[in-house]
Amino acid sequence: MLVYALNRTLTLVPTLLAASFLVFMFIHLIPGDPASILLGDAATPEEVAELSRELGLDEPLWTQYALWLANVLQGDLGTSVFFREPVLSVIASGAETSILLATMTMLWIVLFGVPIGIVSAIRQGSWVDQATSGGAMLFASVPTFWLGLYLILIFSVGLGWFPSSGFPSLADEGGASNLRYLVLPSLTLAAPNAALIIRLIRASMLDVSREDHVRTARAKGLHPARVAIKHIFRNALIAVSAAFGFTFAALVSEAVVTETVFSLPGIGRLVVQSILRRDYPVIQGVILIIVVFYMVINLLVDLAYASLDPRVSLK
Amino acid sequence: MKIRIWLRPVIVLCAFTMLAGAAFASGTLRYATVGEPPSLDQHVVTSDLSTTIAHHIFEGLYTFDASNSPVGLLAAGESVSDGGKAITITLREGVKFHDGQNMTSADVVASLNRWGEFGSRGGLLFANVESVAAAGDHEVTIRLSQPFGPWKNLLAFINGGPAIYPASVAEGAGKEPIAPENYIGTGPYRFGEWEPNRHVELVRFEDYVSPDGEADGYGGARVAELDTLQFIPVPDVGTRVAGLKAGDYDYAESIPGDLYADLEADPSVVTILNGGPIFGLVFTNSKDGPLRENFGLRRAIQTALDKVPALHVAIGPEGLWRANGSFLPEGNVWFTNAGAEHFSMGDVNAARAMAEEAGYSGEPIKFMVSTNYPFHYDTAIVYTRQLAQAGFNIDLQVYDWATLIEKRAQPDQWDMFFTHHGFVPDPILISVMNDNYPGWWATEEKSALKAKFTANSDPAARQAIWTEIQALIYQQVPTMKTGDVYTYNIASPDLVGLGEATLIWPHFWNVSK
Repeated sequence: MLVYALNRTLTLVPTLLAASFLVFMFIHLIPGDPASILLGDAATPEEVAELSRELGLDEPLWTQYALWLANVLQGDLGTSVFFREPVLSVIASGAETSILLATMTMLWIVLFGVPIGIVSAIRQGSWVDQATSGGAMLFASVPTFWLGLYLILIFSVGLGWFPSSGFPSLADEGGASNLRYLVLPSLTLAAPNAALIIRLIRASMLDVSREDHVRTARAKGLHPARVAIKHIFRNALIAVSAAFGFTFAALVSEAVVTETVFSLPGIGRLVVQSILRRDYPVIQGVILIIVVFYMVINLLVDLAYASLDPRVSLK
Repeated sequence: MKIRIWLRPVIVLCAFTMLAGAAFASGTLRYATVGEPPSLDQHVVTSDLSTTIAHHIFEGLYTFDASNSPVGLLAAGESVSDGGKAITITLREGVKFHDGQNMTSADVVASLNRWGEFGSRGGLLFANVESVAAAGDHEVTIRLSQPFGPWKNLLAFINGGPAIYPASVAEGAGKEPIAPENYIGTGPYRFGEWEPNRHVELVRFEDYVSPDGEADGYGGARVAELDTLQFIPVPDVGTRVAGLKAGDYDYAESIPGDLYADLEADPSVVTILNGGPIFGLVFTNSKDGPLRENFGLRRAIQTALDKVPALHVAIGPEGLWRANGSFLPEGNVWFTNAGAEHFSMGDVNAARAMAEEAGYSGEPIKFMVSTNYPFHYDTAIVYTRQLAQAGFNIDLQVYDWATLIEKRAQPDQWDMFFTHHGFVPDPILISVMNDNYPGWWATEEKSALKAKFTANSDPAARQAIWTEIQALIYQQVPTMKTGDVYTYNIASPDLVGLGEATLIWPHFWNVSK
């Protein structure tokens, strides 16, 4: 397994190089530059050009890319044009929010999605199955910004149970109690994702339940709950684990709408705002790290396959 | 039992909510902003959000009172000699920077020089400045090559203006905005921290030395009653409004017009109009394309436009806009109706005839607008329709703001573009007065009037010249004003001392809760 993990890590290098090159070129091909955004509407083209020179943006693209890559190889992702802070520290600040938000969302998905999916599969065709399937479709269809705003109106404005928006770091005043800021956004994100997981678990368990080994288990007289959990659910998890992995990755990097509605300082919002402001170092740094993150998740999913299914060998 | 274990995280999270009752320290004001400022360096940045935050940290030599007249802030007084070519400014003594140093004339000289060389608006004054020199610790002399009437207004306008930094900061800085660790000013609040996407935090400056006199606009005594000011980016307007109602924010900016009536009637919210209106501007290209030097065609376009329906569509309730053709609002010393009869004619038949007379034969007119500002886009849609009815072939090009800014610097890329302008206390600060601003309006008639306008120091004479300039704008149409827009903010009723309207940017000294 160690050799496999090492080999997979080595294959990251050319992929990362290609991704960094594409991101760098694409973002620089979009019209607009950070100098004009920084200086504002009153600035003349001459003033914008002068600041561009100071920021090194007048150099040829190849030179800029080579300089950036050389710095990245030394662990320096550059400095944000807007925040005047190292890109790594800007990303770290966003990553805290995104990872905690994704983790709490996954918690809701596991707490609610998995049991409901199992019950729905076991009680296939019953009113329970009909109700959970209908509910899942409803939540999968509700736009997250709509759900988010209604959760704010009910639980923040109406009941005053949770803060409406923002997220102070766990290191700030309040410590772990700051997690309360993530309850509503994580529920907003969990609703559509849990719905998909419910449907996936139900479908996978129904597939597995028709296999020979399940029939054998039942014929041996095993308790139905034992058959459902040990023989059906465990085998169904092989298909579901990939979905869990990529759902988690997507929650970290793509929760832009939810982060915007709840004003969360997460990675998704950071990317979008950096693109609008043409903050090239941050865009390049974040995308690079997201690519690495996806690759690591992919690797972990593969490793999980092996532990869930002894027939899978890693080579 | 198993169910209880499963519910444990839920119970823990609910327990966290009980801690929410602790809420925030009573001395903290939480301000929900539309986004994050590009930088707080007032010399080079002209973003209104930047100034809203930064004018609590940085101060200039002068500021504006409630009637928009310049009054001393770091300056204790001044004398003008040599026919208006020598300005000697005496500084207040005992003023401290946030790093503990005393402010002296060396800091003022370094700051003015940096602003003059690299500042967004510094070039206007420094085109006439021969030297800036310290005379002792608390006196500075500015020598001009010729009298320059608007010098005090320019020194008082902090947005893109001459904030006073320590010499050690100003001397090493170029065009690139200074870094947050160098945000050292003399204001009632000092810079605390900037957590990207979380907040910009300012902390009360305990050694602040306030100017004397009763508070009047931005002038007079300044008392930092609140311990901390937090400016929090909340991009979604629904969240800004809900957050204020929920008590998570004390103040929220840029609320859309369609919510105005409901919020006015809501006792849990105070609405605060911005006293200085912003106004949309449609610039025409004086360097390239069919509108270059074709004033007749520009006037035909101007004649086709009816501004009122566009203001209704883009802004909403009538209390939030005025179809005012004067570039400065009614009640302001610079208000004039010169040329304003052409402001909103909406006469498509006359426009069609004028266009034909000007030689227009249906060639496309490229009109750039950005969706970053909804009122730009909504107004442009109405104008495009009105111009089409008058026979103009408008090629509406929609971009994000960064792209529009880059394209407008290239004369062959556009014929008209939409932007907006903040309220300014002196017409010299309106972008159309800058010959290098995209549009590049620099006709002989303008240059002659502008020279007279800047050289004259007599307020009545300057007002008369501005009347002529505004009439010329309606004649040569380098830009078309779209009307005054009174933006508004909302606040918690618990805030005391806000007043009924802000001047240009809200300020939170002399405010408590």
